[in-house]
Amino acid sequence: MTFSGEFLAFILLALVAISGGVLLLNLTKVVHMVVALVFTFISIAGIYILLSAEFLAVVQVLIYSGAISIIMLFGIMLTKHNDEEEATAKGGKWRKAFLLLGVLAFGAVFYAGIYNLDFGSTPVALHENNAEQIGISLFSDYVIPFELMSVLLLVAFVGAIVLSKKDEEKEGEKE
Amino acid sequence: MIQDLLHSSPGILNFGIFFVLALLFLFVILGFVTYAILAERKVLGFMQGRIGPNHLGGRWGLLQTVADVLKLLVKEDLIPKAADRPLFILAPVIAFAPSFIVVATIPFTDKLQFADLNVGLLYYIAISGISIIGTLMAAWASNNKYSLIGGMRAAAQMVSYEIPLVMSGLGIVLLTGSLNLNEIVAQQQEAGWFILWQPIAFVVFFISATAELYRVPFDLAEAENELVAGFHTEYSGFRWAMFMLSEYVYMFAMASLISVLFLGGWLPPFEFLGFIPGAVWFALKFSLVVYILIWFRATFPRLRADQLMEFAWKVLLPVALANIFLTALLKELLSIF
Repeated sequence: MTFSGEFLAFILLALVAISGGVLLLNLTKVVHMVVALVFTFISIAGIYILLSAEFLAVVQVLIYSGAISIIMLFGIMLTKHNDEEEATAKGGKWRKAFLLLGVLAFGAVFYAGIYNLDFGSTPVALHENNAEQIGISLFSDYVIPFELMSVLLLVAFVGAIVLSKKDEEKEGEKE
Repeated sequence: MIQDLLHSSPGILNFGIFFVLALLFLFVILGFVTYAILAERKVLGFMQGRIGPNHLGGRWGLLQTVADVLKLLVKEDLIPKAADRPLFILAPVIAFAPSFIVVATIPFTDKLQFADLNVGLLYYIAISGISIIGTLMAAWASNNKYSLIGGMRAAAQMVSYEIPLVMSGLGIVLLTGSLNLNEIVAQQQEAGWFILWQPIAFVVFFISATAELYRVPFDLAEAENELVAGFHTEYSGFRWAMFMLSEYVYMFAMASLISVLFLGGWLPPFEFLGFIPGAVWFALKFSLVVYILIWFRATFPRLRADQLMEFAWKVLLPVALANIFLTALLKELLSIF
């Protein structure tokens, strides 16, 4: 195994991604959890860059670290924002032992599954003009799923507007 | 030169070179921020019939900002007792870091650029979005009503104005066929500046950019007469300086982006003026944009919060969408590009 800059960067990003995930599970305040999640999202974008999928990486930052985290923060701040998880210490020795066993088994299965995985030979030019290639294949090979997706999003959008309109009317009746 | 460095094998030497370059660049930007603040105060002063800072550093007050920064650095570092400590400390860092990351992709001249990205325009928009999280964190961690209201306003404003910003940029992407900032400038060399081809997009982009920078008339997040100072009410000293720094670095980045997208970057306005180096042209255009931003501050009254949102969604967004449609139509019918 060669010790290259790519390897170093991958280890760092993976470490940040995993520790973000672990912190998300272990922190007690909801707002802290979202911040940990943001770190995970950003480091995943970094891993995409290492795979030279620039477009995907930038969109990951734009949608996940930007829009989705902010919507989550908004949601938390507008609702039960002072919620704290109480430290729970239930479950005995056996439970912990089984948990550890489960985690180890999961790790072993994935290691065995991924380590020798071969997708066959891949085309070489995928990393050039990423955005253009994604656009071309989206609008030539996958037009129908793409259009279906847009209709689905439109329906969700209209539904959200209808729902919020109803609330307003009810509040108006109360007053 | 950067391209060669990026492809060479990694090592301590390479790390050192990148580190020194970035550090150098940071100092250039700090220098800009220092004098941008002075310029802002001077221009505002002249526009309001005052003189502005004129005591420290000669007749023009050249050392005024340096003194201000020194004062900020030696100030006592205050963290309120009820604040959420880790978030309070982390927030200024998260707000500042993206502002410095985005300038990496901006081409100052045809040779002076740190990262020639294929998705340059999108990269700028995406990374600058991370700053909102820093703002929201600061607002949240301060545990103060004014901070929280300011932070909420800032986030809502940023998210709303990002959309017309991207949509108006799309017209240029349509004409160029690339998100790469270098190629956008190269296209302008052939076809003329995009401010001539995309005047509607320019107006929408400039307005949204002003809103993204939280500058007057869109500075509701820091409206001092209703919110004390908005999301950084509880901050002082060095941490407050970080927020201000990030704001001015964004101003640097946004002014550069506007010059690159619409004003032809480092290109001279006429062929016969080509003997003047590109860096000078870039600096001139860039200063013009900064001056206009300061001019806005001196002349426009602040918007109301509901007007702000309506303006983004009901005026700017439809106009930007219509501009995309018009651009596509023109491109297909006239086939100039």
